[in-house]
Amino acid sequence: MRTHTNDRLKGTLDLLVLKTLASQGRMHGYAITLRIEEISESVLHLEEGSLYPALHRMTQAGWLRSEWGVSESNRRARYYTITAAGRKQLGEETREWSQLTAAVARVLSLA
Amino acid sequence: MSWFNRFSNLFRRGRVDVELDEELQFHLDARTRDNLNAGMNAEAAKHDARKRFGNATLAKERAHEMNIVVSIETIGRDLRYALRSLRKSPGFTMVALLTLALGVGANTAVFSLINGLLLRPLPVPRAEQLVLLRSIEGADDPEDYFFCTPFFRGLENRHEVFSDVYAYNGDTLLVKGDSGNENVPGMLVSGQFFQAMETAPLLGRYLTPQDDQPGGSPTGLAVVISEDFWNNRFNRAPDVVGRTMVIANTPFTVVGVMPKRFIGPDPTQRPEIYAPLSADPIIDAPRNHIDDGIHAWWIIVGARIKPGISMEQVNAELRTVSSPILHEAGAADARFIAEKEKNHFHFGAEPGSKGYTYARFLFRKPLVAMFAMCGGILLLACLNLASLLMARGVARNHELATRLALGATRRRVIQQLFTESMTIAVLGTVAGLAAAPMVTRTLTALTENGRTEMRLDTSLDLHVFLFAALIALVSSVLIGLVPALQATAGNLNDHIKEGQQARPAFERRKLLPRALMATEVAVALTLVIGAGLLATSLLRLFRSGAGFDPKGLVNIAFKMDKQQLQGDALMRLYRQLGDGLSHQPGVKGVSFEFIVPLSGLGWNGRYSTPAGGTRLMFMNAVGPDYFSTMRIPLYLGREFSWNDSSASGLKIILNQTAANQFFPGQIAVGQSITNPREKLTYQVVGVVADTKYRRLQTPAPAAAYVPIQQDEQPKPSLTAVIRTDGQEAPLAAAARVLAARLAPSIPAPIMSTEDDVMNRSVSTERMMALLSLFFAGCALLVTAIGLYGTLAYATARRTTEIGIRMALGARRTGVVAMVFRENVLIAAVGTGAGLIAAILASRALASFLYETSPKDPSVIVCSVAVLAFVASAASVLPALRAARINPMRALRNE
Repeated sequence: MRTHTNDRLKGTLDLLVLKTLASQGRMHGYAITLRIEEISESVLHLEEGSLYPALHRMTQAGWLRSEWGVSESNRRARYYTITAAGRKQLGEETREWSQLTAAVARVLSLA
Repeated sequence: MSWFNRFSNLFRRGRVDVELDEELQFHLDARTRDNLNAGMNAEAAKHDARKRFGNATLAKERAHEMNIVVSIETIGRDLRYALRSLRKSPGFTMVALLTLALGVGANTAVFSLINGLLLRPLPVPRAEQLVLLRSIEGADDPEDYFFCTPFFRGLENRHEVFSDVYAYNGDTLLVKGDSGNENVPGMLVSGQFFQAMETAPLLGRYLTPQDDQPGGSPTGLAVVISEDFWNNRFNRAPDVVGRTMVIANTPFTVVGVMPKRFIGPDPTQRPEIYAPLSADPIIDAPRNHIDDGIHAWWIIVGARIKPGISMEQVNAELRTVSSPILHEAGAADARFIAEKEKNHFHFGAEPGSKGYTYARFLFRKPLVAMFAMCGGILLLACLNLASLLMARGVARNHELATRLALGATRRRVIQQLFTESMTIAVLGTVAGLAAAPMVTRTLTALTENGRTEMRLDTSLDLHVFLFAALIALVSSVLIGLVPALQATAGNLNDHIKEGQQARPAFERRKLLPRALMATEVAVALTLVIGAGLLATSLLRLFRSGAGFDPKGLVNIAFKMDKQQLQGDALMRLYRQLGDGLSHQPGVKGVSFEFIVPLSGLGWNGRYSTPAGGTRLMFMNAVGPDYFSTMRIPLYLGREFSWNDSSASGLKIILNQTAANQFFPGQIAVGQSITNPREKLTYQVVGVVADTKYRRLQTPAPAAAYVPIQQDEQPKPSLTAVIRTDGQEAPLAAAARVLAARLAPSIPAPIMSTEDDVMNRSVSTERMMALLSLFFAGCALLVTAIGLYGTLAYATARRTTEIGIRMALGARRTGVVAMVFRENVLIAAVGTGAGLIAAILASRALASFLYETSPKDPSVIVCSVAVLAFVASAASVLPALRAARINPMRALRNE
């Protein structure tokens, strides 16, 4: 089975990260990677490095808040949490995504 | 993240870098550890972690950009958005920029004048060490800084606290040029003057104590010239040092050139020649201020204090030397010493870093008053913009609410709105700053108004720059913050639901804009009342008249003190000049006078009255036909004639007030008057109407006239007064030709019109009235725009409501009244507050007012009427537009 790289997922990365953080609470970047892989049963395979520009961009946009904390392995790590604005954004993107997938599904079933 | 954080990221890239590295390394290490736990060997675990991570450098670079570039992009986006939305409403933008530019421009301009006149130190090294010395006695006259020569010479070599003590006198020097003698602005300076100024000459040397001796140093009389004079007169000749100049018919050697940045000790003068103080008997001949000793108070004295000496020490030292110097200077005059001692005479010092200029006493109060008016205009501009932005914000509620709903944080929206008002503020400030030098020039022209000798450095310096920056900052906060906070406050859903719908008539949210507009009306009314008072006062001043007819009266001043003729021979020359002038086209009459009325100059004398005692009268020496030329009515007796010569017995003409004082109830003509000091008796030959003497603002004093032929001065410099109904300019040329033919050694005569003299005598009042009228006009315009703009926006928002009202049967007149009422309340409250403010503020104007009370009811009533008219005009347009609303269309819009 082919795995999808994030090239095909442009624009959906934000959605995945926001959704993950909305359901899981406070996480560091590596944990977000693991969670997305786990939930998608390794279908969605991230190029892990590309996660970080997205995290920083969303932090600047006010959707995420970042702070330094101590990891399970007792090391300093940067943790991210979703903000109220991030939740709004998540709602927005979820709706768009559902509309898009619904539309694509209709096209596939009827065309 | 705030702008500040984003910008600060630019400067602490190092720390951000380290943190980013740490974050990425954590990821790689965590993956490697998991791989190891899954059973990979160390090498493979690391390799896999790197492979999964992808291009680490790229990830880092990208993440980094997010922290910096994104933020700059945001600002750029806000700015572009701001500019776009400003472009979309060009009317609003124009008004916003113009009002703000006006406020900022006017403030900066007035401030740079204040800076030039009151704040800027002299451009010499360590100006803070300079002090001004004064001789203080009795009821101290704060404007009197003059010294007599003996006092100064007594102080000159006291070096206990001073490193240098100097004196100077701004003077006009008669310099021989290629085309005869010319007047050049110059200065007489004492020996230590240049040492105290600590400014090196551009060429040659400066004057030293050796030059400040009668007859000059052993090498002769020396002068130092300014760089400007070197340019204009010597064409920057490198060998100028050592050349000879003829000043007051005496050769002086140029020993040095001072650089352009050195302007001398008076910030309003630009001397072109510095000559030694001891050369006064030559330069001011036939006057001799030095031999006049304790009777000539003519020099300003300053000093440079030694480093580390305090003002207290300086004043203590001056007190101890006061008495010895007084006794030495007045040794020959016991009465002088007794009088000074009775008045507790002593020397004192005050900080002198800014130099001494009389203009400061003239213009300090008007400038401060003007500054207050400009501040009012700026406040008005800001209030106006805040109101308009707020009204626009209300109109944009839907847009903002939508953006908030789409996830924009409140801070983000405020930031965006603030960018918009900042853009306005910065653009307006820049426009204002660009206009400021022009405004300053206009203001300087107004204040100088013919005082060509007054020059002020009003160029931009750090003070002005800081001031402008402060203004920009304060105005952008004033303009931007309140509307931005207000526009984003309140319940989101309400805003979205509201849309264009009808809404309740009264809302608390409307209170703030109303308060702002009412304040605006109040400020505008205050300015209008102030302007009304000043203008009324000026009008009354002009209407009060001078007692003679200034229209068509031309003055031509002849300077005769350095030529050969004197006494009767000089009078014959004047007679020839007068005859020559009277044959010019359009000339109706010619006479001569010593003092030009309203020029601020004066001469007075004490005369015995028949009832015993003495009375002070202002004096003038005038020629034949003077009163008919001036159109001063002759009540009794006759005018002077050329027959009233020095041999024919002393004659005098009194004005009405003087005649009443000296000979109450009697016929003055034929009586005689004695000057007890000179022991001279004059026969009264005429009585004329009163005229104002020194200034238009002061009522006509008692005055007397003597014939020019009987004046005691040997070489009086008289002014020809010419009554003409023709052109004035050809008279100046004719006078120059006449003078060149009849008296080739005198400098070119100087022409002025009596109208100019009169305007100059009221220049402060005129400037204040003109400016305040201008500002009041601007204030009315700005307020009208504000009232119109806010009401127009508010009404536009009520289109649906009004539509419903009309659909339900409201009449158009009722709609007009309803909309109009909105502003009536604002205008009424503002007017009330404005009246109180104006009455409080106008007290400050009292000293500028002539025969006008600061509470002059007619001015106040007129001002309120004007404001009411403007407010009504501004409010009636939106009201009429509301009445034209088509109910069907308005409802269909929902």
